[in-house]
Amino acid sequence: MDDDLRESEVVMKKLRIDPENSEAAALAEFAGNFKGKRVLEVGCGNGRVTKLFAPMAAFVHAIDPDQQDILAAQADLPPQLRHKIRFEATSIEALAVESPFEAVLMSWSL
Amino acid sequence: MVHALEIIHSLLEPAGILVDIHPSSDPPPIEVRLGHRYDLAGWLKETDDYIEYTQADQAIEAVLRRGLFALQQKGTFTFNTYAPSLAELREHLAETWQDALIDDQVAGRVEQLLQSPEIDKEVVLREVVQISRLRSLRLGKTGRA
Repeated sequence: MDDDLRESEVVMKKLRIDPENSEAAALAEFAGNFKGKRVLEVGCGNGRVTKLFAPMAAFVHAIDPDQQDILAAQADLPPQLRHKIRFEATSIEALAVESPFEAVLMSWSL
Repeated sequence: MVHALEIIHSLLEPAGILVDIHPSSDPPPIEVRLGHRYDLAGWLKETDDYIEYTQADQAIEAVLRRGLFALQQKGTFTFNTYAPSLAELREHLAETWQDALIDDQVAGRVEQLLQSPEIDKEVVLREVVQISRLRSLRLGKTGRA
């Protein structure tokens, strides 16, 4: 068995989620105008989608009612995004905000 | 769901943007890739038969009709998950999509296809996902935009 084949078998053993980056491309097209805006993300889960659009936003308040998901999202947050994302375990009904948002993203949550 | 969209409308600045991402109500196909060939094994089931996604479509239509939002753009994309085995796909679904169900008939077909001598093979779940961008409209005294 040559090295290339051995390497491809190692790759095959991993789960691959959206390797075509279709979701990121759709977000770039539909949420491109999030650039520089204050964004509320509803149903952020473990922060998978948050990390896709947060780099272009000015600030992101990401909420999900699942405390475990929020802890996972906080733990997995890249250092360069920490200053602009606030994760909170809450529901949209219980959310208290001081000022309105310029944009809202519902991430697989409606 | 309409109530959630009403709350979101109240949290948005006038002319603010709402982007919604939710799966299509059509069950996603499960395929097995054998090299360059894809064989359909069946469809993923959900305990509530995808009713929530139809309700999400209806909720968006309702707030558009009521003039809370105006639709700016709508489209779809395909969200693919590739798993090296049926067991790993099931494990992934158990973590991320608890209502999902691969029934015995589909599972049997997947296992049968995976018995192929082809080395380069995996299980593929294809979800069609809807994405919409809506603009918030200010309500007048009548409650209409």
